[in-house]
Amino acid sequence: MGSAKIQRLAQIDKVIHEPARLMIVALLSAVAEADFQYLHRSTGLTKGNLSVHLSKLEGAGYIKIEKSFRGKYPLTICRLTKEGKETFDTYRRVIKGAL
Amino acid sequence: MKPSFLQEVEADPDAVARRLMRIAHNRDGLPEIAIGTILLTTAFLIWLQVAYPRGSFAYQASWWGMMLLMMPMIGGSPWAIKWVRRRFLIEKTGYVEFKTVPKGLLIVVTCIAFVVAAAMAWAVHLRALPPSGWLLAGTGIVWGLLAAYAGRLPRYVVGGALMAAVGICLGLSRVSFEIGSLILYGSMGMLSLVSGCVVLLHFVRMPSEETD
Repeated sequence: MGSAKIQRLAQIDKVIHEPARLMIVALLSAVAEADFQYLHRSTGLTKGNLSVHLSKLEGAGYIKIEKSFRGKYPLTICRLTKEGKETFDTYRRVIKGAL
Repeated sequence: MKPSFLQEVEADPDAVARRLMRIAHNRDGLPEIAIGTILLTTAFLIWLQVAYPRGSFAYQASWWGMMLLMMPMIGGSPWAIKWVRRRFLIEKTGYVEFKTVPKGLLIVVTCIAFVVAAAMAWAVHLRALPPSGWLLAGTGIVWGLLAAYAGRLPRYVVGGALMAAVGICLGLSRVSFEIGSLILYGSMGMLSLVSGCVVLLHFVRMPSEETD
């Protein structure tokens, strides 16, 4: 394995590399959009924990969060931004190259 | 979360995401109810052919039903599941919008389905089908494997194994293809429907804290 590939591991995005956030980003990359409840149920994270991670991802500009309603049901819809997609793609490439 | 799971997320986040989505998709039992309904409809249409003489209205209706009803039922079931979830279960299941399937893939799958259907129709026309025992066993095994692979959850694997076993047993018996298909689709449809209803009832009655 090339040492350059391993050295690139040091440059991976720390925001995405955290396992819980990585799981959220991976889930969001597989769908067009999902709400808080779906992410909460799929990841198994507590609501508080999920909320904190979503805020960090939103702060980094990797996801976009929108509040809306479907009938009387409030939705907190999350989707990956273009930057989030690119960062996740880069992350995957680096990890796959190093493993 | 367990350390091994964390390692798995880091090693292959896409695989973990697919697994989580598969579990979420099957948590409410609706996919099994849809599959059960399709299989039971198939069994009902086959029963019409078994119970009524050729040329009768019921016999003709079963052929028209096979041609006009089955494809819309199979193609429409994902939309039906989505509609039920968003209409009645959104507070428990949450909201998700999946990516649209690429048109190219849709065209390829439709073409393959058309070619397979045309080949089967041609084989029936030429009476060049393999012995009914082989067909029944093959049907059970292929659908059983598909169910186990697509669901990849214990109840799907058990259901798939049962379907393969029933198909093989029917194939080894001297039962005709029509009767064998009726038993195969009827029993598996009933099993899938009951299993889905039990899962759905459990899911609906579960307090929010547990479904959360």
